[in-house]
Amino acid sequence: MVSVGASDVVREGPARAFMLCNEAIVRGAIEADVKVVSAYPGSPTTEILDTFSAVAPSFDYRMEISANEKVALETCAGASMAGLRSITSMKSVGLNVASDAFYSLSYTGVKGGLVIVVADDPQAHSSQSEQDGRYFAPTAYVPMLEPSDPTEAMRMVKAAFDISERHGVPVLLRTTTRVNHQSGVVEVGTISRKPFAKLPWDHPPGRFVTVAEAARNFKFAMLERARRLEEEFEGSDLNVLHDTGSDTGVVTSGAGYNYAVDACRELGIGPSVLKLGTTYPLPRGLIAEFLKGLKTVVVVEELSPYLELHVTAIAKDANPSVRVVGKLSGHFSEALEYSPNIVVDAIAKAMGITPPVDYAAVMAKAKELKQGLGERWPTFCPGCPHRASLHALRQALKGVKHVVATDIGCYSMSFLDPVNYGDTLLCMGASLGVAAGLQYAVDRKVVAIIGDSTFYHAGLPGLVNAVHHGDDFTLLILDNEVTAMTGQQPNPGSAVNAGERPAKPLVLENVVRGLGVEDLTIADPYDVKGAASKLKEALSRKGPNVVIMRRACALHSDRLKRRRGERIESNEVSKEACRRPYTCVRDFHCPAISIDDGDRRTVISQELCDRCDVCAKLCPFGSIRRREGG
Amino acid sequence: MAGREFSVYMSGVGGQGLVLLSNIIGAACARAGVRAITGEQHGLSQRSGSINVHMRIGERVRSPLIPIGGADAILALEALEALRYVEYLRPGGIVLMNSRVQHPVSETAGHMKDKQAKYFSAEDVRSRLLQVTDKVSVLDALGLAREAGSPMAENIVMLGALSTVEAFPVPGDVLRASVAENVPKKAVEVNLKAFDLGKGKAREHLCTLVKCRE
Repeated sequence: MVSVGASDVVREGPARAFMLCNEAIVRGAIEADVKVVSAYPGSPTTEILDTFSAVAPSFDYRMEISANEKVALETCAGASMAGLRSITSMKSVGLNVASDAFYSLSYTGVKGGLVIVVADDPQAHSSQSEQDGRYFAPTAYVPMLEPSDPTEAMRMVKAAFDISERHGVPVLLRTTTRVNHQSGVVEVGTISRKPFAKLPWDHPPGRFVTVAEAARNFKFAMLERARRLEEEFEGSDLNVLHDTGSDTGVVTSGAGYNYAVDACRELGIGPSVLKLGTTYPLPRGLIAEFLKGLKTVVVVEELSPYLELHVTAIAKDANPSVRVVGKLSGHFSEALEYSPNIVVDAIAKAMGITPPVDYAAVMAKAKELKQGLGERWPTFCPGCPHRASLHALRQALKGVKHVVATDIGCYSMSFLDPVNYGDTLLCMGASLGVAAGLQYAVDRKVVAIIGDSTFYHAGLPGLVNAVHHGDDFTLLILDNEVTAMTGQQPNPGSAVNAGERPAKPLVLENVVRGLGVEDLTIADPYDVKGAASKLKEALSRKGPNVVIMRRACALHSDRLKRRRGERIESNEVSKEACRRPYTCVRDFHCPAISIDDGDRRTVISQELCDRCDVCAKLCPFGSIRRREGG
Repeated sequence: MAGREFSVYMSGVGGQGLVLLSNIIGAACARAGVRAITGEQHGLSQRSGSINVHMRIGERVRSPLIPIGGADAILALEALEALRYVEYLRPGGIVLMNSRVQHPVSETAGHMKDKQAKYFSAEDVRSRLLQVTDKVSVLDALGLAREAGSPMAENIVMLGALSTVEAFPVPGDVLRASVAENVPKKAVEVNLKAFDLGKGKAREHLCTLVKCRE
């Protein structure tokens, strides 16, 4: 979803605008005259892709919503090898997918600036892990910048392009959820772009080939490059030193900086603060200078003790008696994201100060007040075809012992209360590989579930493997036409791509058959009885076989309906006909359906109902029907 | 304006337009020359999950997250979500909540099994909140939004009510102008009416609890 800030992204500066950090990153890249944009959606970076896509008609950059992050990075690599500026963005685990290209690209280097925005997700708000992506930088010898807010992110994107071009190396712009999803008032600059022009390929043969002898030579050049980068970062204004003369210091970066500054104000203390913007290579000389004369240094960073270990190592020579407060000292945890109160408590404890608020007491009181308040986990939207598909699958598997390997997408939520369905979930595309292993190991039917976008992203090799080996499992591809979870972006099955430009839609059944699958069924999850019986038949046969459950994402199709000026209809429950079998509640759990406190009959919310009509088809008494004028 | 700080913890249910609401306030801040930052929740595009936005106004605030006990107000687009984040409210802070309840599916699943079960109600929420503050104002935002012309304008009804609060450091007329600028063109009239209805309704109750602008 593109917020109001998108219009500010195209606005001529200088001007003041309220922008999401992800929008500020786009604005920075546009001001830096980026020419090629390529990305796969992933929270918390998705709004970068969405914003680039929304404003694409206003600019001449070429853009692809890629099949996956690896292809996205390789697309940028090709463009930047030729000499154009390019940018990609991805979530933490996206860089795992792209890492094969990433490590080699650091060897070959680039000519045109290449910026990789990678966003970690402490707290795993919308990710399968809390992976700390900072370690990619030192292991690949790729420079890394970390902003704390939208203004800084915009500035750092521009700096990153500059560094990338001067040193011939891709640059990581590393963020975290609370940086990406922070909005603030930003002063945007002027937009001065050169017209798009193709370039000659004027590199000598083998310039971007890395293998054996070439790789060994690149390695030495890469080490030298890292040395030069560190030298440059020692004097870089991306690192900010605030010296108060105190014998206590804080070393921090990114989101941690915001909490640290507020915490010190809350506690009424004024330590010196070293805010690191260049977190690889670290300016070790600057850190050493900072540590001299300090009695205590507090390191405020989320996830792993990345800065802390370096600070500790640097202190060994610079100031061996300094006390380092961080994760290794037990003041902070490596788990979960920080918050203002976590940082206040940790610093207060280290400094022997009593915090102004007893947070534990406030939390205890809040817990007491919330007794009986029902959890509201994310769940399938009203009208979601996944709800219908999972319901049909349950019906089809009644009495059949089974195990379900699921995948990354909206359907991942099926494991949450109250649906509680699904046995394994690892990463994009893993349902197929895991199912292959399960069919060797378990005494029951093996089912794999994957969405269309995830299938195109990382499911194809898994299906090739299953067909080739004759692996015995049934694959359900939930085809809802879009990459739904991140906001209904187009995918390779769509007739459009970035900026709503026309694209060739791949035909999923042709792809599946083309990979050698002979047993293929297509069902409509809204066709409740038909879908369950088709599934039952397919599940009774030996795999590998595939069932495509095809129905557009409800949010996506509602948006298209509204665009066409069509009304979204709704259903209602007939009080006379309802005999309370709760077929529309059990294993269905639609947010539009609740139970009347008094007569215990079900009620459908007119505001929420999407009229998929699946509950009406489930009802044995036919008590659910279209609301007149609804 | 400088020096005045105000933090609003905004909560609701996915699909109620909470992010648009925070953008409207943020854009108004940019226009009024007031510094504002937010910590938002994006990522799961699903409807019906609990969502929140931390909105912080002030020259010196850096953290996009409000500290526990640090919110001057909770603005809840759905009743249960007013209680869900109560730990953020400072003692005696303002709670401005919609009376509309969207029953979580987990609660409905419980109802199916227990015939005596009663849903958590807006009144339950209000009485619990009164244990930590005396400034709880409940608004029928859905009813007022319908009166304005669209049930989708609940968020703007709530904003209209908030705009009356004197301590909220963004002028009401700038907020109203920001609504007009940032909602879809064809919905401007409905939303401005929703804003005015919310503002009018606040005078009846909210303004008896907190100091309001003239």
